[in-house]
Amino acid sequence: MTTSEMDNGTTRDELLQRVALMEAMIAEGRKSTARYGWIFVMWGLIYFVAMGWAVFLPFKEWAWPVCVTVGVVVGMVRTRRRADGSSESQRSRTIEAVWQAMCVAIILYVIAAGVSGHGNQAAYYAAVFFFVGLAHGISARILGWGVQGLVAFLFWGCGTAMFFVQTRNQILAVFLAAAFFGMICFGLYAMMLERQRAAAQVQRQVQHYA
Amino acid sequence: MMNPEADNGRNRDELVQRLELMESMIAEGRRSTARFGWIFVLWGVIDIGGMVWQEAKPDFRWTWPIVILAGFAIQYAIIIGLRRWTWRQFCGNSMQTRSISAVWSMMGVTVLLYVAAAILGHGAGHIALAAAVLMFVGMAHATSALILRWPAQGAVAVLWWAGGMALYFLSWKYFEAIFVGEMVFGMILFGLYAMWLDSRSGSKGARA
Repeated sequence: MTTSEMDNGTTRDELLQRVALMEAMIAEGRKSTARYGWIFVMWGLIYFVAMGWAVFLPFKEWAWPVCVTVGVVVGMVRTRRRADGSSESQRSRTIEAVWQAMCVAIILYVIAAGVSGHGNQAAYYAAVFFFVGLAHGISARILGWGVQGLVAFLFWGCGTAMFFVQTRNQILAVFLAAAFFGMICFGLYAMMLERQRAAAQVQRQVQHYA
Repeated sequence: MMNPEADNGRNRDELVQRLELMESMIAEGRRSTARFGWIFVLWGVIDIGGMVWQEAKPDFRWTWPIVILAGFAIQYAIIIGLRRWTWRQFCGNSMQTRSISAVWSMMGVTVLLYVAAAILGHGAGHIALAAAVLMFVGMAHATSALILRWPAQGAVAVLWWAGGMALYFLSWKYFEAIFVGEMVFGMILFGLYAMWLDSRSGSKGARA
């Protein structure tokens, strides 16, 4: 192409600007996920507490409803506080949409299964993992983030395992593995990325003013 | 504000431009879903076909994997055909469009893996399986509806979720009725509605 004008009338500079904007949006979306890394850690810990309660403490039928309600309330309060004053890109809103839809779907599914008395089927346990895996998979695809893609596969793998495990202890082991690696470790990794980003930003500002 | 310059250094024009860009992206994403309305119709018809096949041969375990793979093959054959004809008009490539594409492709992967695992692990008879598949499709519709801010698609998501929840309280006896209802209202009619929107916006564009 000899001229700077493209075939459809878009100039090269304009295209470069668009690419830069898209790259900035992807980076912002990934930063947004990293900023909410604590949610993954919190839910991982909530799984551990709920399972510990269900195994070792009395009133075990209340373990999951109480822990999940606490998690939802804490998540909503902290997210609202953090959202005040933070800028939001289109991409981070897209990622939020994915997780909001996942939360509503999983809550409706779990409530319906619990109330109707079908909460002990292998397909039910597997579906819970596949819901989370689906949300991670969509986020990973949108953000082009390989690590999150691996987490999606971990959840899909755990969901698949649910159809093959036999005993209650094996089910617990799969749940604990998913909660530890897919929630806590991924959440800590996201938080570490957020810290590194914040430190780099401070350093840039210091250099700028120096 | 007395000064046209905003507090954070961005002027008003820049913000207006950004807002316009975002609005155009949302509109492009919605147009793109409307342009792909035929996929919903296709899958509605394919799934009803699968249901009829399963009724005819209830002991054959691989009905659904075959139906789903055949559906993907037909879908991609049509997409390739359409791309050859009208590549530019056919395939919008905005961020919103790519997000919607990510939602539906991942939903497809999830349902495929889930159903395959259930068949191999002898969990295909569980009512939780059928309910989960409806909930997955509902989740994809809900995510798209939230991204595109499209209430019609939100209503379709609610329909799919209601079907998934209803399955738990009714039995397998009602599965066919719920499934066919979901396919007709949540796939075929929604797809036709999206196609109608697309043709309307196309004719408006042609008039302009």
